[in-house]
Amino acid sequence: MLNRRRFLAAAAASAALVTAPGHALADQASRDFIVRLADTAMTTVAAKGLSDDERTTRFRTLFVENFDLPEIAKLVLGRHWRIATPDQQKDFVRLFEDIQVYTWARRFKDYSGETLEVLSVAAESDGDVQVESRIKRDRLDPINVGWRVRKHPEGLRVLDIKVEGASMAQTHRSEYSSVIQSSGGQVEGLLAAMRKKIAQLQAESATAAVSGSTKPN
Amino acid sequence: MPTFIPRAALTRIAVSLLSLTLVAGCATPPPADDKESVAEFEQLNDPLEPMNRAIFEFNQVVDRAMLKPLAQGYRAVVPPFGRERVRDFLNNLRSPVIFANDLLQGEPDRAVQTAMRFAFNTGFGAVGLFDIAASGGIPYHDEDFGQTFAVWGIGEGPYLVFPILGPSNPRDFVGLAAEWLVDPLNLHLDHVGQDWAIWTRTGMYGIDKRERYLDKLNEIERGSLDYYASLRSLYRQIRTTEVKNGTVDLRAKPEAEKR
Repeated sequence: MLNRRRFLAAAAASAALVTAPGHALADQASRDFIVRLADTAMTTVAAKGLSDDERTTRFRTLFVENFDLPEIAKLVLGRHWRIATPDQQKDFVRLFEDIQVYTWARRFKDYSGETLEVLSVAAESDGDVQVESRIKRDRLDPINVGWRVRKHPEGLRVLDIKVEGASMAQTHRSEYSSVIQSSGGQVEGLLAAMRKKIAQLQAESATAAVSGSTKPN
Repeated sequence: MPTFIPRAALTRIAVSLLSLTLVAGCATPPPADDKESVAEFEQLNDPLEPMNRAIFEFNQVVDRAMLKPLAQGYRAVVPPFGRERVRDFLNNLRSPVIFANDLLQGEPDRAVQTAMRFAFNTGFGAVGLFDIAASGGIPYHDEDFGQTFAVWGIGEGPYLVFPILGPSNPRDFVGLAAEWLVDPLNLHLDHVGQDWAIWTRTGMYGIDKRERYLDKLNEIERGSLDYYASLRSLYRQIRTTEVKNGTVDLRAKPEAEKR
């Protein structure tokens, strides 16, 4: 009885090893990648006592190195990517990066003690890997965050983040397409709105820095 | 005579919405030969966009003048401990509605969880002020009639922004109205003529919700080029996730994952 059960277990295990090693390796790599990314973000970008400029610079480095920005930009602009001129495409990628950096870097200032726990890792049909995680926070409800990870020649890259089920790429696509529409279908209108937004975000963090230096709390 | 007449209020809202539609008109669909534009138009699911945007602007004004300051005041005055008690209490009051929806969605396990939570928290958690069931391993989950209708296969209909209530759609709005009408506590309070308690509860629910969203909404508005479009997309995506009980599925996974 025992022998038979052991045999069956061994057979099942070896079958699993034969059929799934590729997936398992890719899954494990994606899981490690996300855990490491969250770790690095918490130790470098969320570090206490950084100046706003320094925090922004650190976030930008992390963001550019670990996110597939050109691909995300293409995804976000959707059908408008094709009607955009190469110059507009280049501008868009740059402006999109800036907006993300200025909106996200500031958030890390308030983070402390957040920990990421991977809940599941699943390979998608298109070869991307979806890593579902939960970010635990002190005295606040945990946040569910899903990461779409794609293999890139130089390593793994994040393609999209889902916060509580809402895809950031899809949200931006919907938003940007609405802006393009209201400017008569012109990509230039979106780029102008983005430049304006970035100036506004920069001005805000500048005033925040000034008021922060006069009033420490 | 009870003064709580939600049916009349609903009719009034419906009539004013209809007249707003007539005034504001519909979004112009793109020409049929532009397939990608048509696909996008359908994907946005917002044929009443001009009306929705008008109501959204109105809501923004009300929010800035009243709701947001109220929520900020609530946060400033009541310490986190107190706000948690309020939230646990309000969540516990929702239990009968959640229980009914668990059952209607064919989720007996979740219905049992809700019933047990209600019994524990009401009995041992100081009438629901303390969510002791959550610390005991039965976490809170929310359900509503809009989600139940979705589980039954009823489509969401076009995106709608309601005055004060904000982003919604016909399905979720009917769900909200159903909840308002069948909530046993509200029915009881109405029956005994204590309508003030219904409005107090509704008001507290609104302030608690707005307080919870203070930072999130600030961040979204701050980073958005088109706040309306961002919220529209977020609302629809998050509702879809809620219908699939996304968060709960995820909670269940770590167990299954152990190899």
